[in-house]
Amino acid sequence: MSKPSTRARSLAMLAVIAIVSACSSPAASGGGGSSSQGAKQYTIGYSNGGGVGNGFREEQVCTAKAEAKVSGQVSNLTVIHRNTDAAGQLADIRSLIAKGVNAIVFNPNDPNALNPALAEAHAAGIKTVSVDAYVTDPSTWNLYNNQVKYAELGAKWLFDQLGGKGTVWYTRGLAGHPADSDRDKGFQNILKQYPNIKVVPSKQGVFTGWDPAKATQITNDFISSGQYDHIDGIWASGMGKQIVDAIKAANKPFKPIADADIGGFVSQLLDPTKFPSLKGAAVTNTASVGGAGITLALKLLNGEQVQADPNAGRPNTVLLDPVLVDNLSDASKTQLKAWISVPGMDPLWPLSLSIKGWTTYDANTVPSTCKGA
Amino acid sequence: MSAAAVTTERSLSDVLVSPIRRNTWVLALLGLLAVLLVFTKLIQPSYGLAGVQGLGISILPLAFAAVAQAVVVIAGGVDLSIGSVMALTSVIAASLMEGQSDAFGVAVVVGVLLLGVVIGTTNGALVVITRVPDIVVTLAMSFVWAGCALLVRSAPGGAASPWLLNLVIGPFGNPWIPKAAIVLVVIVAIIWIPVARGRFGLSLYAVGSNQLAAFRSGVSIGRTKVLAYALTGLFATLAGLSLTASTSIGTPVPGPYTLESVAAVVLGGVSLAGGRGGVFGPIVAVVVLQIIQNDMTFLNVDPNYALVAQGVILIGVLVFGSVIEIRRARR
Repeated sequence: MSKPSTRARSLAMLAVIAIVSACSSPAASGGGGSSSQGAKQYTIGYSNGGGVGNGFREEQVCTAKAEAKVSGQVSNLTVIHRNTDAAGQLADIRSLIAKGVNAIVFNPNDPNALNPALAEAHAAGIKTVSVDAYVTDPSTWNLYNNQVKYAELGAKWLFDQLGGKGTVWYTRGLAGHPADSDRDKGFQNILKQYPNIKVVPSKQGVFTGWDPAKATQITNDFISSGQYDHIDGIWASGMGKQIVDAIKAANKPFKPIADADIGGFVSQLLDPTKFPSLKGAAVTNTASVGGAGITLALKLLNGEQVQADPNAGRPNTVLLDPVLVDNLSDASKTQLKAWISVPGMDPLWPLSLSIKGWTTYDANTVPSTCKGA
Repeated sequence: MSAAAVTTERSLSDVLVSPIRRNTWVLALLGLLAVLLVFTKLIQPSYGLAGVQGLGISILPLAFAAVAQAVVVIAGGVDLSIGSVMALTSVIAASLMEGQSDAFGVAVVVGVLLLGVVIGTTNGALVVITRVPDIVVTLAMSFVWAGCALLVRSAPGGAASPWLLNLVIGPFGNPWIPKAAIVLVVIVAIIWIPVARGRFGLSLYAVGSNQLAAFRSGVSIGRTKVLAYALTGLFATLAGLSLTASTSIGTPVPGPYTLESVAAVVLGGVSLAGGRGGVFGPIVAVVVLQIIQNDMTFLNVDPNYALVAQGVILIGVLVFGSVIEIRRARR
């Protein structure tokens, strides 16, 4: 390899690398919720180690900011919201320890990897709360959605719609993800109670990877292979919108579908002109675990008793129960409409914003609160 | 006047004066580090033990990755597979160590380091044999190694031997000295100093500076490049092992280390054109980048601004470097 022009070669290479690197290199950050009325007592750090731009993760960070603001007890909320690996999140948590915050709320990249930094946090007298998933560190409190129940609610609704008899297409999330494994547990629990329900493509289901493009592809393949014509209902893990859109594009009749409370899917449920006779149910998978995590951290800081869930299977764990709302009655449609009417909501965000006992903000102000904060 | 002759002459003299130039850059960088530390103390008066200990362990994976990148860049190449090699070696180590004895853990570490040398040699051999540009070969290989990592483990998991965790986490003697920093300095010194002082080190700089001149001086270009990539593979594996040691697991999906290592190398005073720089500068650069990141946390800066700031710093360094280059060329 000769070098006709070293500088030209290197500059061209640099330009590419520098730009790509600048766009993908990490950056700690913040954007804290701040001032409201008196009695500021605590500083809280928030670490989200992935899913920047992902509806669930963005909404989760947003609700944390909203809750910190209305609580009146948070003088400073430092948010480190970036895409990184477990080692990067360890670095972020350690920066928050160095900052001397009173509590750290985080969405963990791994159940075990963060434990050394969490132990350092406790040694420094910092309270730690893991939201959306658990960590194995014994002193950290975990707070997450009950995913077993999520699947149970949707599966039961769907099987009842079919009169306990028929064939169900089982579309799952990301293989190996704890939430997906828990949901599978719930789905299989209910399936056992309905001996006349058959599951395709197999009892293990098909994985969408929670990737909209992949979900669309899988549905198109399923329809073009003719298998769609032989099923009676669909259980989905958050990709309901993509599935319904693909069915509509193929001009096939809709079949009952149970999915999550994502904005796009709920709008389809509420639109009988574009999606005639689409029967569906949205199970909440609230991203407000962020806000609830702030509340839990404040309770711990104030020395309040927190009731751990005895059925969680691990200590110091609070499980949030989902609810199911379908589009079959006027009352439930009103509930769906209330969710979707919150101004400024992104169509990729889960809709349920309030968790009884855990969030105190006005749900209607959440999107605007976090954008301003 | 023969332009080629002048170029050759200047490049050779660059090889001779490079230690001075390198030190100027590193001294400036150390100055920047000192300023940043003072600045950090000003904005965060409580910055102290926890901050320094956190810094030590946080920089370890990227510091090894930056050293890995520096070696191959000095030889006139670039390795875009470092992040993937880290992921692969990290998952292999974490998978093999899970539930095994300490002695077995030592064997795993040695084995994985050897594997890293093999991986690096493969990268280098492909570059030399195919004559396809380094950037293309290593980009392609990054997919190969990342794919292998996913074949080893589809999801994060495994475990690290406890002694490996103890090796890097916590203070060493004095509470202000992180073990990770000692590990980094000792390992890099043991491997790099003999290399840099020896015949191979001279060939490394010669090949990176001017392949034709090196060839005419009797340096085997192919062998030097393959050895450089092998050394890069070794350091990338050390980076992968530090990931396992700091997180106690293996993660099959590569982190952002490849491009960050290039950024650290550039900021660390290694010329991307090859032949100039060392491994100490990139390590200091990694510390600087991590402190900037910490300061962003202390200052509550929005992530988008932080990203922009990092890109601007990088481009600033590159432009500054080019300006110096052009001025030197005119003289």
